[in-house]
Amino acid sequence: MALPVRRSAGWKMATFIKKSCVFTKTLVIRKFVTVTSESTSHILNLRLSSSRPSLGNRVRAVRYVRVSNSNLCHSTKADVSDNEIKKEHVNIGTIGHVDHGKTTLTAAITKYLSRNGSAVFRSYDDIDKAEEERARGITINASHVEYATENRHYAHTDCPGHRDFLKNMICGASQMDGAILVVDCNDGPMPQTTEHLLLAKQIGVKNIVVFVNKVDLASEELRELVELEVRDMLTHFGWDGDAVPFIHGSALYALEGKESELGEPAIKKLLDALDKHVPAPKRDYTSPFIMPIDSVVGVPRGTVVIGTVKQGTFKKDDKAEVLGFGATFPTSISTIEVFRSPVLSARAGDHVGVLLRQMKTSYIQRGMLLAAKGALKMSNQYKGTVYFLDKSEGGRVKPVTRGYIQVLFSETWQVTARFDFEEDMIMPGESCAVTVTLLKEMVILPGQAFSVREGMKTVASGIIHESCAAVFIPDRKLFKYEWKPKIKS
Amino acid sequence: MFGSKQFVRFFGSTISVWNSSKNHLAQLRKKTGYTFANCKKALDMHNNDIEKAEKWLHEQAQALGWSKATNVGGRKASEGVVAVVINKNHGALVEINCETDFVARNNTFQTLANMIAKSCISVVPQAPTSSSSIKKEILDGKSLAGLAAPDGKTLADHVALHIGLLGENMILKRGVLVSANENVILSGNSHPAPQDPNNPLIGKYGAILAFQSKASQSSSGEIQKIGKQLCQHVIGMNPKAVGDPEQDKPQENADDESNMIYQEYILDPEIKVQEVLNENNITVVDFVRFEVGESNTSNEEASTVRAQA
Repeated sequence: MALPVRRSAGWKMATFIKKSCVFTKTLVIRKFVTVTSESTSHILNLRLSSSRPSLGNRVRAVRYVRVSNSNLCHSTKADVSDNEIKKEHVNIGTIGHVDHGKTTLTAAITKYLSRNGSAVFRSYDDIDKAEEERARGITINASHVEYATENRHYAHTDCPGHRDFLKNMICGASQMDGAILVVDCNDGPMPQTTEHLLLAKQIGVKNIVVFVNKVDLASEELRELVELEVRDMLTHFGWDGDAVPFIHGSALYALEGKESELGEPAIKKLLDALDKHVPAPKRDYTSPFIMPIDSVVGVPRGTVVIGTVKQGTFKKDDKAEVLGFGATFPTSISTIEVFRSPVLSARAGDHVGVLLRQMKTSYIQRGMLLAAKGALKMSNQYKGTVYFLDKSEGGRVKPVTRGYIQVLFSETWQVTARFDFEEDMIMPGESCAVTVTLLKEMVILPGQAFSVREGMKTVASGIIHESCAAVFIPDRKLFKYEWKPKIKS
Repeated sequence: MFGSKQFVRFFGSTISVWNSSKNHLAQLRKKTGYTFANCKKALDMHNNDIEKAEKWLHEQAQALGWSKATNVGGRKASEGVVAVVINKNHGALVEINCETDFVARNNTFQTLANMIAKSCISVVPQAPTSSSSIKKEILDGKSLAGLAAPDGKTLADHVALHIGLLGENMILKRGVLVSANENVILSGNSHPAPQDPNNPLIGKYGAILAFQSKASQSSSGEIQKIGKQLCQHVIGMNPKAVGDPEQDKPQENADDESNMIYQEYILDPEIKVQEVLNENNITVVDFVRFEVGESNTSNEEASTVRAQA
């Protein structure tokens, strides 16, 4: 069967979807599930290597694909029509005690959906293996499963531990949009369910759906009590406990194909709840436009900047500015081209070249952003989460303390930065909240990933969550900047 | 009670309108934290009498714990915590493993770890002989399991109980007991360190440091603080030995330095530890450092190892 693998397109894709790709010396073929979803269901998780033996040494086939959030990746002119019929893409995960049936449930979902071809059945043992993967040098234990309902395509991730979920968030292509909490009706929530919910909060999961499992062994009374207790717990941790959908069922029944309302019908109810209650990230067409600049070209008529529009819409004559590296340059849009043909406007997701008025080519660098006038502010201080690679991942051996100064790499640029933490010391293999202070002011958007390198080796990876007000750096020396922790040590 | 404190808050106010048996079930669960199925069983066996059911549950919990322990006993348990407890001249460092880091972060589990460390101290208060200033005794899992907790049950029983409560395999990995002379001060720290200094020292790493202070009337607060910082240094920089200024020489490459006195001080890499010690008139006698999971990779020593400083 010819697999619709786009080798060269995959490499090009790699430059625009940086978060989901690893730059390796060997060409990595990644199967992107961005074309019409029905056809891709056939290529989900098939062993590429077995069907393409002629790949050779320099090409490595990847079995599990970190599905990029297709809503945010670029579309070429040809793909515009695909945009419309493309299914929404959502990332979800399962949390819960290992014995409560997380893996059985996932297997049951794939089994149920494999009937109509929108998933490949993954058995319990297959999912349970939780392969170790490396993304940006970081080792993550996770199981990835994909399936699709009528309206959506889901990328389902399950990790064995708190640390793996965090690493997944930091290096993963996209945030987890929703989570399924699995609770055994006979046990009720375990003491560590508290920790599961705390994790969900930490990785920014806004929507939860609860699957109460093993209901075949439980009475009506029990079901009610468990539901009440979990609702209260959810409310306690900040979700709207009463609004969270609860599905009662038996994953085992569904997996074994037993005829019962608790079997496959429960799975269907669960999927419906996911479809309804977990909103898919939408492209933002209305906010002020932002376009990170990938490259700059000088043409006789002026300066052209090329990139993929991250949000918003713009057209000719719109007032704009180019920001980055401590500088802001006002300009306005002259012409917009997609594949060398002029278009009237560009919107989120489009990959375009934009001719700018009154702009010297030498002013602009890769890493700056083009945005609507006044839309963005640069800052030199941001807050985020960082993970320091441990020794086995090629990271540091010794811990870092506050005031750690190194080069920060993000998107296409690098700037020296200082890292401060509430804790006195961070050991390799740990992650924590961090305040990043840059030597030059840049624009970093929430959710943007960064990495820290000592020489050639990556020692840390992280994500920025929010920007802070710019701070004054005495003598432009980061070590002279005084950072005060909130907690007195 | 083991789990109930967490669940007390989680029950709404709708309970009062239910019929009696559901009411009792809810109350029993809220009070004890045991699984719903077991609570129901208890009530059924005792005619809905909450008190009798509760008593039965406590008795059963131990047995249930042991049976769960046999069920999950084969599972890999490589996460966990190290607990450090210092009580005047005695200190204990213990490592307990569990399956996931969710449980390692859980309050119930951490309370168990702290209790185990405390049990070690109360059970073995041996004073060191006059020839050595401190005495270290390494305990392996088996010996730890046999020790008695403050309530009389063995530590093995307590671990089994928690296996039942949390549903994961747990292993009492190892422990170290440190006893010091009167002129030696013991200090301990863990990483992550607790926000509140009164909270127990529990984390992925732990260290105990024994030192002597020449300063006579320095405030004990200062001395304690330095002690804790030096423990942090031991955790972070992982020295192999204290080092003897007369016998040992510093390494050329500071990164390879394994003698503590010649290492760069973790809180100020510009100076060496020896300078910190000189400034505060302290000499380090010995230290112990535990990291969760490290004994899995190194050779397992024979189960009856006893070492004297």
